[in-house]
Parts: sequence; C-alpha cells; structure tokens
Amino acid sequence: MSAESEKFWSTARRQLAAVFRKEVRQTIRDKRVMVLLIVAPLVQTVIFGFAVDFDVDRVPTVLVDQDRSDQSRLHARRLLADQTLRFAGQVGGIPEAEQDLDDGKAAAALIFTPGLASDLASQRPAEVQVLLDGSDPNRAMVASGAVSRYFGEVGERLIRERLEAAGRPAPAQVVLVPRVLYNPRLKSAPYIVPGIAGTLLVIVTTLVTAMGLAREREMGTMEQVMVTPIRPLWLLIGKLLPFLVIGIFDVLLLVAVGSWLFEVPLRGSLLVGAVGVLLYLFSTLGVGLLISTLSQNQQQAFLGGFIFMMPAILLSGVMTPIRGMPGWLQAITWLNPVRHFAEVMRGVLLRGAGFTDLWFQLACLAALGVGVMALAVARFRTQLG
Amino acid sequence: MTARVGPAIVVRDLTRRFGTFVAVDRVSFEVEQGEIFGYLGANGAGKSTTIRMLIGLLAPTSGQATVAGHDVATAPGRVKESIGYMSQKFSLYLDLPVEENLLFFGAAYGLEGTALRARAAELLERVGLDAQHEATTGDLPGGQRQRLALACALLHRPGLVFLDEPTAGVDPVARRAFWDLIRELARGGTTVFVTTHYLDEAEYCRRIGLMVDGKLVALDTPAGLKRTWVPDRVLVARGRGLAEAGPRLGGAPGVRAVAPFGAGLHLRVDPERFDAARVAAALREAGAEAVEVEEAAPTLEDVFLAVVDRDAGGAP
Ligand SMILES: Nc1ncnc2c1ncn2[C@@H]1O[C@H](COP(=O)(O)OP(=O)(O)OP(=O)(O)O)[C@@H](O)[C@H]1O
Ligand SMILES: [Mg+2]
Repeated sequence: MSAESEKFWSTARRQLAAVFRKEVRQTIRDKRVMVLLIVAPLVQTVIFGFAVDFDVDRVPTVLVDQDRSDQSRLHARRLLADQTLRFAGQVGGIPEAEQDLDDGKAAAALIFTPGLASDLASQRPAEVQVLLDGSDPNRAMVASGAVSRYFGEVGERLIRERLEAAGRPAPAQVVLVPRVLYNPRLKSAPYIVPGIAGTLLVIVTTLVTAMGLAREREMGTMEQVMVTPIRPLWLLIGKLLPFLVIGIFDVLLLVAVGSWLFEVPLRGSLLVGAVGVLLYLFSTLGVGLLISTLSQNQQQAFLGGFIFMMPAILLSGVMTPIRGMPGWLQAITWLNPVRHFAEVMRGVLLRGAGFTDLWFQLACLAALGVGVMALAVARFRTQLG
Repeated sequence: MTARVGPAIVVRDLTRRFGTFVAVDRVSFEVEQGEIFGYLGANGAGKSTTIRMLIGLLAPTSGQATVAGHDVATAPGRVKESIGYMSQKFSLYLDLPVEENLLFFGAAYGLEGTALRARAAELLERVGLDAQHEATTGDLPGGQRQRLALACALLHRPGLVFLDEPTAGVDPVARRAFWDLIRELARGGTTVFVTTHYLDEAEYCRRIGLMVDGKLVALDTPAGLKRTWVPDRVLVARGRGLAEAGPRLGGAPGVRAVAPFGAGLHLRVDPERFDAARVAAALREAGAEAVEVEEAAPTLEDVFLAVVDRDAGGAP
C-alpha cells in the first residue's frame, strides 16, 4: 500500500514537473508572451500612473481686464498665483475670450468688467465674471470653485475690515480645516495604481491561460497529452502554476514601481496583501480555465477573455467610482473579483488595513475563486475524461 | 522475452455514431501480437474514429474493445500505459526544440532523469534525428516531423502502437524510410496498427482490414484479399492500335474489364477462357499490331476497386 502510494506520488511529481517545465520553456521562448507578461504591465502602469490623472490643476485661463485698476491687477495676480489656474494670456474683450475658449487655447476666462475697483471702494455689489468650458465638467467645477473661493475670502476680509473700521466686532465664523487621511496630497496615482495592478493581472492570467489551453486544443497537442497516462489534475496544476508565479511577480513589480514612481505607500501587512493576491489569482486563473473549456480555438478564447475583461475592469471601481453606478450594477460588482482585489490592495497599501478590515473582500475573493475554479476544473476533467 | 498471451487487440461490434451518422458500424476484428495490421479506407471511412475509440480518446456508442489485454471502457489508464499513438494531424509542440518534446512526453509517461535522457537520445538516433535535437520542431520538414512523432510514441517501449496515416503528405523517399522504421519495429516484436491511403504501403502489412463507409468489409492478408476479390486473370497488353482494338474486345464473353494503362491496356479476364496467348490473338484479330501480352499480379488497387464496386451494387 505504502509502496503503491509512493509510486503514485513520484509519478505525479514527475508529470507535474514535466508540464511545468514545458510550460515555462514555451513561455520563455515566445517573445510576444514574455512582453505581454512582464513588459506590458510595467509600461501600462507607468502610463496609467501618469496619464490617468484625476487631479485637476493648471486650468489655462485668459484674463479680460476692462477695469484696468490696481485693484483688478492685484486680484488677477493673486488668483493666478494659485496653481489651480494658469495664466494663458490677456485679451481685450469678451468676444476674444470666447474665441480662445472655442479654440481650446483656454478652458476658463476671468472677466473684470469696468468699475470693479470703484464698486469695491464704494461698497456697491461688485461683479466678477467667469466663462467656463463645460465639456470637462470636472475641470470647469474646479476652476469656478477656485475663483469663488478666492473672492469669498476677499469679500469676507472686506466685511471684517469695514466692521472693525466702524468699531464693531467681527461675527464668529465657521472655519473649515480639512485634513485628508491616507493620501494627504490627494494624488490620483496612489489610488489608481493598486487598481491598475488588478486589471493588468486579469490580462496576464485570465487571457494567457485561456489562450494557452485553447492553443493546445487547436494544435492537437492536448490530444497527444491525453493519450499519455498523465492525470488531468496534474496537467492542470502544471499548466496554471507558471502563470500564478508570473502573476505574483507582476504584483511585486507593480507595487515596487508604484512606490518608486508614484509614491504609493506600503502601510499594511504583506501577509494580508499576499493572501489577497493568491485568492485573486485563483479566481482569475479559474476564469481563464473556464473560458478555455468553452472555446474551440484561440480566437474564441481571446474573444471570451475580452468579454469577461471589459465589464470586469469597468465595474471594478478602478476607473469610475462604484457609488456612481445604478443600484443593479452596483449589485453585480459584488461578483467581480477585480473590485474586491482593488479594495484589498488599496486597503493594504494606502490605509494599512488588516484582516479585520478586509475580511469581507477576502471572503468574497475566496468564494469567487473556489467557485469558479471548481466549475472550471469539473468541466476540464469531463472534457478530458 | 516472456510468452505473450492473447491477441493485441480484440474488437467486438464496435460502433460510434455522431448524431444520426454512423461513423463506425459494428466493426469486429482481432489483431495478433507482433503483426503489422493495416487499416485501409477512403476519406471519412471511419479509420481515425476507430483508433480514437481504441486508445480512449472517444467513447464507443456500443460494442467492446480490449487493447493490450485491458478493456478500453473500464481500464483506460492501463490502455494508455501500454500503447503509443501517432495522430493523423501532427500534434507535438512546434515551438519547442525536438529534444524537449521527447523529454516532455517521456516524463508524461513517468520516465525521469538520466534514464529519460538516454532513452530520448537512443530514439533520436534510431529515427535519424540526432543531429537535429536542438532544432525547433516547427522548422523540421514533414518527413522528419513524422519520425519525431514516432519517436515520441515509442518512448515508454509500448508493445502496441497506433499510427494514423503516418505517411500522409510525405515525399516517397521519406515514406520509404518511415516504413523501414515500422518494419524494424515489428521485427522487434511490437504490434503495429497503421492506417493509410497508399495501397503500395499496405503490401507491407501482414493483414489488412478494408473500411468502407464505417463498415469493415474485408480482412485478410494481401495475398488472400487478392485471391478472394480478384479471381480474374490480370493481363497487361502492349502494342500498336490498342486504343481501337481494346474496346472491340470489351464486350466479348469472358472479358471482364478493359482499361487503358499507360500506352497499353489493362485487362481482367476469366481464367477458364483466356490466357495471355489467347488475348494476344484476340487483340490482333481486332486490328492491333506488334502485340505482346503479359500476365500481371493483381494489386491491392484491383482489390480496392473490386470491393468498392461490390459495395456500389454488384456482387464479386
Ligand atoms: N467529432 C465528430 N463529430 C461529427 N462527425 C465526425 C466527428 N469525427 C469524425 N466524424 C465523421 O465521421 C466520419 C469518419 O471520420 P474519420 O475521421 O474516422 O475518417 P477517416 O477514415 O479517418 O478519414 P481520413 O482518411 O479523412 O482521415 C467522417 O465522415 C467524419 O466527418
Ligand atoms: Mg483519419
């Protein structure tokens, strides 16, 4: 009995090692796959980190100063000194400013109408106009916010000065002191890089696994393997293991690049992160396997991978906040491993969250991973059996 | 070697349907230990489907098969350990070096370490690919690929190999070289089950099974098949004016078939009524000149045509 089980395990080990080795050799020899697995995630993280910048500053602004007073010049200088607005030139009148907005030379125009200084001095209501390019609503909001915040402060100061000049105490006011936790400079990159890692792993693991197995089917090599006494389970593990390793390597790479280029912190426990990564890769590999069992050839597998990837990435909360989605879509995102993984990674990296904070996401990942993998393995084995 | 018991393959009423289409229809046969068994048939006759059922890639719709002493339905694992298989479509890893394919499949059969390497080297030499062991498999020409595929099927020293059209699309010289390997294998005691389209190759087989539309319609040695299916005397005539004289002879009693054959004529006649001399006389009478007639041995092609003719309606 023990001799028998020893023989079983030694054969199993040989077969598993053979498949693993073969898979690694094939992957290393295929330059395109190597690029897909290692260079592409790196390049994409860097590009996304820089390009997908939700921070809005330096909104190009033209100035129309028809008042031409010391006062108007002072306010223009102070307002544009803030990094939010960037001086993009001065024009004579509103039509020219509109033209600049039309041409895209500026996204905002700051207009001081004649009489601004005298209105302020004589305590009449003064008016400052802002023309905004609303095609990027986020940017328009930021620009108008910056102008109204500035003139709000100007107005407040004027009131205070006048009350004090009249010998009356200034009224108590509410002062807002925001303090931002976890990502104090409110940069986008630290928020987006952990999410990007999740979406890139889908490509590396789901797509490559699905295509790899479909290729074996298409080329007939699967049939040749199936007439050997190799067990489907060892075949499967040997085929998936290299991509698990590459997936883990990619995570480490992305976290390193993130912290080096984008100041993504690493506050939490590596153990929690590792558990998240493993559970996540389990589900993405499972999806890849499942897709391959549903495809006859590489083309179908590629299509299947894409059909999974597009919604998985869009509904992950990485690109657009989940809270902004309709309720039924929000419900669907619970089934999306990318969402849970992005939350785990952000939690671990940015907030230093541990098991107690993230147990729900980890449990979701585990349930999804085990469920998908079990389904895929069952399909795979009946197809081979 | 120890004495082997029982036939290498026993097939009883093996049937496979795809929907309503019957690809293999109640086929029964036995293959003896150590013989080269040829399985012949036109495209779609059901050759590959039969093999796929015998090696456990496809479940039979009904019927039984015992391969290397193991029931295909109940012990597919044992069957797989005992056989080698070369599929009709080349199915090794094209992107790997030649040697890596051998090492992978050898390990899949449970070989390891130096034993595996030695076995791979031995087979590479045997199939004449030792100089190509580092070449990328996809770069090999057709004949070398087929020899590599054979080597992969032999790694674990199976007593029985299934070769599905191993010489399809390979040039004549490479075909000859491949058949030398097959015959060497059989001399060493390995049972070979081989399918082919080429009737000249089938002459190398000890016995031949003929498949037509999923049915096994004939099974015998090449000589036996010829005796049974081509009882006529086959004659080849050469001379001048045969193109005109031949058809005139066509209707005569005792002349079963006349067909042009190169510049000459191919005739099948009733041996009771005609021999070479009488046919020569008859052709001269019909206007041909300088006539020479020789008796020819019937070929498997004659057998194949007779079988297909019978199947198309007539009786032998
Ligand atoms: N998986 C399948 N589904 C449906 N029909 C099939 C399937 N496999 C084979 N067939 C059909 O069964 C018939 C026999 O096919 P098979 O491959 O056994 O023929 P073959 O004798 O090997 O022919 P060839 O010389 O072309 O290889 C063909 O008509 C084929 O189309
Ligand atoms: Mg075939």
